[in-house]
Amino acid sequence: MAELRTEEFVVNMGPHHPSTHGVCRLMLTMDGEIVTKIEPVIGYLHRSIEKICENRTYAQCVPLMDRVEYVTAMSCGYMFAGAVEKLGGIEVPLRAQYLRTIMLELNRIASHLLFYGVTAMDIGAYTPFLYGLRERELIIDLFEETCGQRLTYNYIRIGGVSQDIRPDFVPKCREALNVISAKMSDYTGLLNENPIWIHRTKGVGVLPADLAKAYGVSGPNLRASGVNYDIRRNDPYLLYDKFDWNVAVRPNGDCFDRYMLRLDEIMQSIRIVTQALDGLPDGEIMAKGVTVNYKAPAGEVYHRVENSRGELGVYIQSDGGKKPVRVKIRGGSYNSLMVLPHFATNRMIADLVAIFATLDVIMPEVDR
Amino acid sequence: MTREELAAYATEKFAGRLTPLATGKYDPLFLVNDAGDLLAVARALKEDPKLQLEYLCNAGAIDTGKIDPPDKRFEIHYSVASLQLSLRLDLKVVLPAGKPEVESLQPVWPAADWFEREFWELFGIHVRNHNHLGQFLLPDDWNQGFPMRKDWDAPDFVRMPEK
Amino acid sequence: MGVIKKLPVYAEKIPGGSIVLTSLEALLHQGQAKSLWYLLFGTACCAIELMCTGASHYDFDRLGMIFRPTPRQSDLIIAAGTITKKMAPRLRRLYDQMAEPRYVIAMGGCTIKGGPFYYDCYAVEKGIDHIIPVDIYIPGCPPRPESLLEGCIHLQEKIKKQRLTDWQEK
Repeated sequence: MAELRTEEFVVNMGPHHPSTHGVCRLMLTMDGEIVTKIEPVIGYLHRSIEKICENRTYAQCVPLMDRVEYVTAMSCGYMFAGAVEKLGGIEVPLRAQYLRTIMLELNRIASHLLFYGVTAMDIGAYTPFLYGLRERELIIDLFEETCGQRLTYNYIRIGGVSQDIRPDFVPKCREALNVISAKMSDYTGLLNENPIWIHRTKGVGVLPADLAKAYGVSGPNLRASGVNYDIRRNDPYLLYDKFDWNVAVRPNGDCFDRYMLRLDEIMQSIRIVTQALDGLPDGEIMAKGVTVNYKAPAGEVYHRVENSRGELGVYIQSDGGKKPVRVKIRGGSYNSLMVLPHFATNRMIADLVAIFATLDVIMPEVDR
Repeated sequence: MTREELAAYATEKFAGRLTPLATGKYDPLFLVNDAGDLLAVARALKEDPKLQLEYLCNAGAIDTGKIDPPDKRFEIHYSVASLQLSLRLDLKVVLPAGKPEVESLQPVWPAADWFEREFWELFGIHVRNHNHLGQFLLPDDWNQGFPMRKDWDAPDFVRMPEK
Repeated sequence: MGVIKKLPVYAEKIPGGSIVLTSLEALLHQGQAKSLWYLLFGTACCAIELMCTGASHYDFDRLGMIFRPTPRQSDLIIAAGTITKKMAPRLRRLYDQMAEPRYVIAMGGCTIKGGPFYYDCYAVEKGIDHIIPVDIYIPGCPPRPESLLEGCIHLQEKIKKQRLTDWQEK
């Protein structure tokens, strides 16, 4: 009888694959059904945003920043505006800071609802996609009434925000948050007790905490591995140190914890927005003296924001002219994808899909 | 430790190896005096018990476009943090224009892996002891040089007209 | 489609044979236009709006459009998102893998002429119509779901204007 001969083969997953994480190509070396080596190949969405910013004035860079991470475009706009404000020492009025905090947290809730829908769809459950996007539409409607756009807002400008909220924003926002917090039991009820979901996510893809810290993983992926670090609390910006909220941490670091942690974060964000709406003061929404031809003084700064995918940071170097010398953007998904080959091997390819889905990677942050 | 205490402590502990720079706004920024000393400084920053800077946030290369003097054209900026002690520090290295080279910081901060691949591909800064330099973000058949350099140009590169 | 290609030639020769042609065309149009299955091809921001259009608030399924993950089972590519020079050969390959009749919708400013990435960008393909032939262009950055639905309805009207004689070899 002939000897059974096995050999490893290379399977190419991507750049176009059905999970809508953008265009990421993973070259998998497989031994049967087990993945032995992963090599991510990126650059399919490299739009050279950093090179474009070198030929734009500071105000012209702001709408471009929304495209870096379009699911949470408010954070991207704030990341850049906050960095320029640090360079120039601009004092942002209090009402603008409250509005910025509210918009950033609403955007975090919308992003996590999208994560919920898309992750469940990747692992095979199609119904949560419709549930998650239905509630997300409530928040998107609020954004559309305020700034006119559904996805790339261009709302947070250098020195403040671009327009004030409508008079019925506050009651509508409270109504939307009530609906979402009531529906959270629906979301967990659909998936958490489901034996298929539990088998596919519990104990799968454990990311050890020291590996996560070594590779610069941040945000919910880091907190799901037990590391209690949140930029909003450890290195506060905007008004996060004035509100009463908790940092969600989960101990295990498997796919189930990464998924549940984001649902916990939705509840904490609802707390922050409710407190911000209660304390919203009157006043100006834009700092004085900041015009559309603003020139930042010479210097360099690295400003970072806690995004729903991790630490979103921008490094700006300015020489006092109209245009920045260098803008370097750092996204949380970059490091999540960097650490993927180091902890997701030696398991089946279906587990790899679940791990990749719960890491919540968005490709333009990786490729810029 | 506050930001000022951190700046004072690092200035005193690493006197002669690090120079504080005034251009850094907000977080303390230090220039590594000798680019060859970078790996040792990084290791010392990570192992110091009062700093514990074990987390690399960002590493970016800058082409300042300064051709005169030519030995200050490229810079590399590292942002590091400490998770337990909630500290943040920035480091900078200055490289000459001719054949810029820097040591890989992967033994100290493994997160530097992909950041350093970008240094080579977009700027042409060679990274010693990095095992995976090569094609990363650009198309497979890219042969038009290092695009993020200030003096780079190509036939189909359209610049926005000045108003 | 061999029989369909030869049918107009024979049908013209029989008196009153055009009725066969128009009835067949009406049947084909009903089938093609009312059940366009689109390939989930989203690279960037417009992909999120594509997903929102497919969700329950603005439904694609009421137009008969379902997403398919593979190009072999789809007859429409909605190219949503920026196409870079690295991605362009893959888009061409996906288009080549689709079976005829196949249609292309270019969604968003980036696929029309490069969008916000026209100036100072070294890596973006400025428009996809020199890679694949485009039927409908939908401007916007990103276009609203209602715009995308209107674009799909325009495509349905365009399909209904096609004639069987278009498939004949010249």
